Formats: sequence, structure tokens, C-alpha cells
Amino acid sequence: MKQKKYLPYVLILPTFIFVTVFTVWPTFLSLYKSFFKQRLNIARFREPVFYGIKNYTQLFQNPEFINVLKNTLIYVLGTVPLTVLAAFIFAQMLNNKFKGIGYFRLAFFHPSIIPMVSAATIWMFFLTPDYGLFNSALTFLGYSGPQNWTANPNLALFAVMIIAFWKNAGYYMIFYLAGLQNLPTNIYEAARLDGAGYLRTTFAITLPLLKRSTLFISTIAFISAFQTIDHIFVLTKGGPSGRSTVLLYYLWQTRFENLNIGKASTITVILIVTLLAFTLSNIMLSEKKEPNNE
Amino acid sequence: MSRKNIKHIFLFLIILIVALLWITPVIWSFVASLRPLSEPMGRGDVWFGHRLSLGSYIKAFSLAPFGRYYLNTLILVTMVLSVQLVTVTLAAFAFAHYKFKGQRLIFTYILLQMMIPTTALLVPNFSTIRILGIYDTILAIGIPYFGSAFGVFLLRQAFLSIPRALVDAGVMDGCSWWQLVRHIYVPSAIPTFTAFAISSISWHWNEFLWPLIITKSDTARPLTAGLVRFTQLGEIGAQWSLLSAATMLVIFPLLIAFLLFQRKFIQGFLHSGLK
Amino acid sequence: MKKTLIMFLLLTLVVTGGLFANGKKETAPAASAAPAAVKKAEPVSFEIYYPVAVDAPIAKILNGYIKDFQAQYPNITVKPVFSGGYGDVKTAVQTTFEGGGKAPAMAVMLATDLYDLINSDYIVPLDSLLSTIPDKTAYLNDIFPSFLQNSKYDGKIWSLPFQRSAVVMYYNKDLFKAAGLTAPDSWDSLAADAQKLTIKGKRWGIEWPSGWPYWLFQPLAIGAGQNIIGDSDTTVYFNNPKVIDAVKFYISLSKKYHATPAGVQGSWGAAPTNFAKGSTAMIVHSTGSLTGIIKQANFDVGVMPIPGKVKGTYASVPGGGNFYILKGTPKAEQEAALKFAYFVTQPKYAADFSTKTGYIAVRKSAYNEPEMKAYLAKVPQAADTRDVLKYAGKELSLQNLGQVRNIFHKYLQAAYNGTMTPEAAMAQAQKEADASLKDFK
Repeated sequence: MKQKKYLPYVLILPTFIFVTVFTVWPTFLSLYKSFFKQRLNIARFREPVFYGIKNYTQLFQNPEFINVLKNTLIYVLGTVPLTVLAAFIFAQMLNNKFKGIGYFRLAFFHPSIIPMVSAATIWMFFLTPDYGLFNSALTFLGYSGPQNWTANPNLALFAVMIIAFWKNAGYYMIFYLAGLQNLPTNIYEAARLDGAGYLRTTFAITLPLLKRSTLFISTIAFISAFQTIDHIFVLTKGGPSGRSTVLLYYLWQTRFENLNIGKASTITVILIVTLLAFTLSNIMLSEKKEPNNE
Repeated sequence: MSRKNIKHIFLFLIILIVALLWITPVIWSFVASLRPLSEPMGRGDVWFGHRLSLGSYIKAFSLAPFGRYYLNTLILVTMVLSVQLVTVTLAAFAFAHYKFKGQRLIFTYILLQMMIPTTALLVPNFSTIRILGIYDTILAIGIPYFGSAFGVFLLRQAFLSIPRALVDAGVMDGCSWWQLVRHIYVPSAIPTFTAFAISSISWHWNEFLWPLIITKSDTARPLTAGLVRFTQLGEIGAQWSLLSAATMLVIFPLLIAFLLFQRKFIQGFLHSGLK
Repeated sequence: MKKTLIMFLLLTLVVTGGLFANGKKETAPAASAAPAAVKKAEPVSFEIYYPVAVDAPIAKILNGYIKDFQAQYPNITVKPVFSGGYGDVKTAVQTTFEGGGKAPAMAVMLATDLYDLINSDYIVPLDSLLSTIPDKTAYLNDIFPSFLQNSKYDGKIWSLPFQRSAVVMYYNKDLFKAAGLTAPDSWDSLAADAQKLTIKGKRWGIEWPSGWPYWLFQPLAIGAGQNIIGDSDTTVYFNNPKVIDAVKFYISLSKKYHATPAGVQGSWGAAPTNFAKGSTAMIVHSTGSLTGIIKQANFDVGVMPIPGKVKGTYASVPGGGNFYILKGTPKAEQEAALKFAYFVTQPKYAADFSTKTGYIAVRKSAYNEPEMKAYLAKVPQAADTRDVLKYAGKELSLQNLGQVRNIFHKYLQAAYNGTMTPEAAMAQAQKEADASLKDFK
């Protein structure tokens, strides 16, 4: 392989080009534009005017934006760990052999086939106050709180989180299931002979062996939590009173409702930095523990 | 009855209850889709109407070209995945197999794509699509995803976990780089390929915002963007049965496909990995 | 696995092959059409972006009109592009302009988008184009004035009303009769009636959706004596005592009279069917839902404007979309587009559109068309939807609409939900709205 020094570069080139054109270049463009004031709906600011870092300082002084960051944090930290945990539990439950197991897998997996827009529509219906089944079920279980899920300031964000949870848990479950089925059975035999209980086996054997699956799943879960706002579009439009507005939805509003390009670029940059922080730490943690990688 | 049996029945019951909870939204939606359009749901009347009706399905079909949307979505996910499989395999192989100058830097550079949501780059990417002259085509929906950092990342990890001895043996035998990829790397990473394929298909099947913006006509729109006309309530209230019918039209074929192939699907993960 | 892979590759080949074949197919007719059209004087073809929800088979209706239009003007080809909703059309127009693409000659967008569209330099004034039509003055005078309110700016006309609606109150006449009530004519009687018609756990007296609240709130403010928007394009009246009164009245319907669900009501979608099912005695909604309600209700449906604070006063506010002509398109296309807009707003078509969709016909004379008269005989409520226009104030439309509306929504909902007092909420809304409008003065 030494006579073809250029080969690895050639092999990487297609990926490199696509990443450059559709990710890196537009990112730099956003970074550049974040230093300008440009508002399409004000005639004198239609062309960009240099603005320094004022877009950034204004955003971080704006309580509305702080609120958006808070919502985002609640959304991501509330959905990702819970969804991944549920996925693991479901996979454990369904990693059995009995008749009709396929139907059960389908029961948990089917929401991931449904596009988020449709899932949100189904849930809009499901959450309807008065006669929606969600409320009927809760009432049956003794719940007597407010029923207006999408319009109640304390419930709206929670409602969209439930949908994300419902939609994704089964999806991540499949990856765990695949991981579980790839585990060597002889370790479990040995553990059983040692008298290890279910919980000990899970924590001492299953989870460590599924570390790679967990990394994979949590990475896609994080990314999709930041990227998916379709259900917010359909259900709450960020409301009531901005209580369910997350970063990407705020970006959309700033860009397409308020026509504020400079600020939207700034939010893009902030969003990117946040995501970089999240995923980089996730990846670095895993790389560190596998010294034989390089 | 042995203790083990009781435990199994208990487990079965728990799974059954959770599974029932999980499918309720879709089942209810399905029931709603069969209600006649003239009989809306209301308090105390949430299941079947006086008769079953396919009226909502017929109306849904008349309001949007579902066949076209299906074809478009199918073309989209197949196109994206097949291009990705090529670009991703080549890049991952290069990163896993060779040592070259700037390797780490280039790898990090490519990983950027994994952390920056394409959704956030909607507007600058739109201009690029315009410059390329492919606005309102299926290609335009897919092209930003032709390179996949996520895939490169995953596959590189899988490739790295292949015993070096196996690779070295191949090199000793005088395998060309392509033969190494074809006979050693790819076969050992099938589960990863499968996982990546599922995640790619699922992502592009579900994507909504980007196709909505980058297409304007039904000839290029996938299901998600096409469905918009049903999910926006517009001036009138929701016609749950119609909305439900449209949703069912989108999800049925896939649900059935998964039901039919789920055993192969899961076992594909299992066996190919243990070869 | 190998087999699957081969199958997969084959499929890919077939699919990508199909893709290219498609591309060819699409360019072919355009090429062959060109020489044929040369014979005609000046062939013009233009695009129109049109929003379609599931309200009605809009695409089918529009395509019918386009056929009629092209029969009359054989040299003009209209190419409609149907998108999801108003938001999609606006976004499509925006991205087209910013991406440097070719904009359509015409688009139907919200009447209230006026200022954003002017400031962004997307649209052209219609005055000079309108002078090409024979009966310009008569034409404009025949359009309901409330619908033209959001078309005028800077002494020019920027859009032509087409797909228009208004806020109305639907009430269940049978229930009113059974309870010995007549239609409410003031806030007090509205609240009293709603309270009487409420059966706890079974039926609400009234539902008043507020998930996207400004539109259905405006009749309350107007009814209190102060609209939230005036003639100025940079002034709002959120903290006016009368507007605060309106907020308080909305809250009292649940707090004091227990006649409507508490807090923000995210029931835009469900309200019409709730009403048709008899699980609510009144709803405030769009005229657009009339057709659906009539079809589903098995009782006598009443339609009226929203009662005002003072006995005998009423209020409403218009809504819906207008035709806009977009900048950067060739003059010939713009002229053809205007011809089309004029064509489909002829009384005959305005009447046809109204009877088929439930939107209010934009022209007065449309109500003299025989087709319309026959329809009104069958659905007398359709005349009521037109008549509320007499009481209609101006729909919220001003500079920086998106941001101002978001601010208003935020604090109005905070007041509805009781997280802020109406006074504090409206004061804060006013403060933030004023700040956001500073750049526009």
C-alpha cells in the first residue's frame, strides 16, 4: 500500500466534497453572517450591515432566548436518557422466544416507521381534550389534572416530549435487540452457574458488552432530539407563551417569521456549538476507552 | 406449574400491557379512519360510527397523489442509501486501513457533518441547490446526505474491530485494496451496514422540513412533505377521519412489510454478525 | 445476504434509471410545445403558487378555472403549483427569492403578509397593472371593503382578495330555543347564555379556540371599543384599557361563568365537530368551517358576528389570502397573471368558488348570481357569513408582523392561562412590541 500514497485521499474525496459543500461551507457562511445585521423586512437593513458581536450579546441578554435554551435542555435531557433506557428495557423484554414475539416487536417498533408529522397528527387527535383517549386513559387511572395538553403552559413541552419518547423508544430498541442477540451466550451460562441474579447479570455483563450499542444509540438520539421539531410545528407552534419553543424552532421562527437573517445565523452558530459540545464529548468518552483504535 | 413458568407468564402480561398502550394511538386512528365523514367523533362516541366507510380513504386519495408520493419516497431513500453505501465504505476503509498525513484532521473535519444538523443549514443549502440547478427534484432532497459522517464513523469503528491478522493475511495474499474491501472488510461489517441502512432509510423516510422547502411540486415531493396538506388544519376544523385515513395510507405498507420481514430483519443482524 | 445485496443493487439501478428517464420526459413536451406556440401572437406562461389544505378540493376547482381561462386566452398558459398551507407558499416564495431562483408571477398568500412582502421587496404594486382592466374603479368598488383593508399601503394597491373568510360565532339554535333563549346581543347575554347552556362534564356553553389566539381575540377587542391595530403600520394597542377588558371577558367565561374550558383552548381542530356533535352550544371560528358544520349537524345552525360589550353592537375580523404579483418576473407574465386574478374574481367565478368552498365571495355582485341565489336558498347561513363583514374591523397586519404577533400571542396566552394578570401581560406585550417596532419607525 505504500506505492499508492494518494489512494486514501481519493477514497475519502467523495465524502469530503459532500461534507464541504453541504456542511462546512454553509456553516462558515452562517458564522460570517452572524456578525451582520440583516433584516429582510426592514428596507434599510435588507443589505447586511456590520454589527460586530451585537447579535450574540443581544441574544444572551434576551430572557426569551434564555427560556428557549432552558426548554431545549429540558427537552433533550428529558427525552434522550429516558428513551434510551426504555429502549434497553423493551429489548430485554423482547429478547425472548415465544410465539408471536414478532407482533410485539412490531407493536414497539411501528411508531418509528411513521413520519414525525403524521405521528404528531395522530397524537393531536389522541390528546384532544374531553374525548381524546389519552385523557380518558389517564382519568381511568385516577388523573384529574388539566387535560389541555398542548395549550397548558406546564404540559405543552411535556406533551411533545411524550411523542418523541413514544416514537423513538421502539426504534432504538431494535439496535439493542440486535446487540443483545449478538452477545455470546456462554458468558450468561457461566454467570448463571456462579449464581448471579438478573440485575447483576444486566449491570455486570449486558450493559458493558452493549457499550458500543449505547454509544451509537445515544449519539443518534441526541442528534435527532436537536433536529426534530416537526411535532412542535403540528402540535404547539412553540406555545403557549413560548413554553415549548426549542432552539431549532426558534431558529425557524427568527428566520422565516421574523425574517431576521443576522440573528438566525447567530442562532445557527449557537446551535452548532451546542451540538458540537454534546456529540464531541459523547464520542471522546468512547474513544478514550478503546486504546486499540488507532 | 413451575416457578419459571409463572415468571414467564408474568413477563408476558407486562409486555402485553405495554404493547397495547403503545399501539393505542395508531389503532384508534385506524378506527377513526373508517368512520363515515358525516359522523364526526365526539364526547362518548369515540370508536366506530354507525357503519364502516372507506369514504375518508377515497377522499384522501382524491386530495393528494399518494402513488406519486410513495414512488418519490422510495426513490429518495434508495438513492440516498446506495450512494451513501459507496462513499461511506470507501472513506471508512481509508480511515481504518491506511495511515496517512492529516488523517486525524480530515476525520474530525468529516465528523463535523454529524454534529451540524442539515436542518439548521436550510437556507445556505437552498442557494447551493439553486446554483446546481436541481431545485424541485428528488436529487435535491438527497444530495446533501450523499456523504455521511455518521456512516463513516460507524463503519470505521466496525472495520477497526476486525482482527488485524485477517487483514494482514489478505495483504500477504496480494489482495488489491478493492479485494480487501470486498472480501474482508465488508463481509465482517454486515451488521453495521444493516444498522446504518436502517437508520439512513428511517431518517430520510421521516424527514420533513428540508423536502418541504426544496420541492414545490407533487412530482418531487415525498410522503412527508405531501402530507402537509392534511396536517394543516387550514380554515376549517380537523376532519379526524380524513387525517387518519391519510396517515394510514402512509404507514400501512411499511407496517405490513415490517411484519412480514421482521424475522429476517432481526436475524439479519444476528447471523451475519456471527459468521 | 449476497442475494439481497444483488437485488438491492438492481433495484437501485432501476430506480436511478427511472429518475433520469423522468427527467427527460419532463423536458420533452416543453421543447415540442415551443414551436407550436410561435404561431400565436405572444405566448406567455406563468406560475402561480397556491396553498391547499384539505378544506375543499381546491386544486380541482382551480384547475377548472384555469381551463376556462386558457380557453378564453389561448396564448396564456397557467402553471399552478399547489403547496401545503399559507406558510409553505410564503416560505417557497422567500427561499426562491433568496436562492436567486425564478419567482412565480403570482402567489396566494395571507392578506396580512403585506408589509413583510413589501419590505422584502418581493411584490409589485398593482396600480399600473390594474389600469389595463376596463372597469377598474367599478371592480374595486365591488369588492367588500373589509377585504381590501389589508391591500392598501402608501397610497397603492398591492393585492387582490380571493380566498377570504371572517370570524363568526356559530350557535345551536335548537338548544337556544329549548332553553328559551334568543341569540346573544352583548357580552353579558353571551356569558349568561353560555352559562345556562353548560352542562358540567357533558356540554360547554361556548368554545373559543386560542392556540393561535390573535385572530379570534380581535373581535373581542373590537367589541370592547378598541382594535389592537389601527391605521398606523407601527402602532399597536395591546395595553389599552378596553383591550384589557376584552382579555378579562375571555377569562371570565371560564373563571366566573364556568361556561368554557379554562386557560388556552388548543381546540381549533376539534371545535367545529364538538359543535356539530352538540357537545358545545356555541363556537367562535372561521366562516370556512360552515360547510363542514352544516354537513355534520342535525340541528338548526345559527351564524352571527361576535356580540360586543355594549348591547346591540357586534364585531368580526376578516382573514384569508390574496393574490400577490411578484417582483422580477417579466412584465408580460405579470400582466397575464393579473388577467387571471381578474378572471377568477368575476362575479360568476367568485360565486362558484364561494359555493364550492365555503369561503366568502369577495365581490358584492357575486351574491346576485343565480348559482349563488340557489345556494343561499339551500344554505341561508352563507348570507350571514357575508353579513358579518359589516362589523369587521382590520385584521392584525403591520410592520414586523411575525415578531409582533409572537409577542402578542405569548402574553395573551399567559393572561389566559393565569400565569400573568391581564394588565401585567398586556403592559409587557406593549413594551416588547414597541421595542421590536423601533427599527421600523
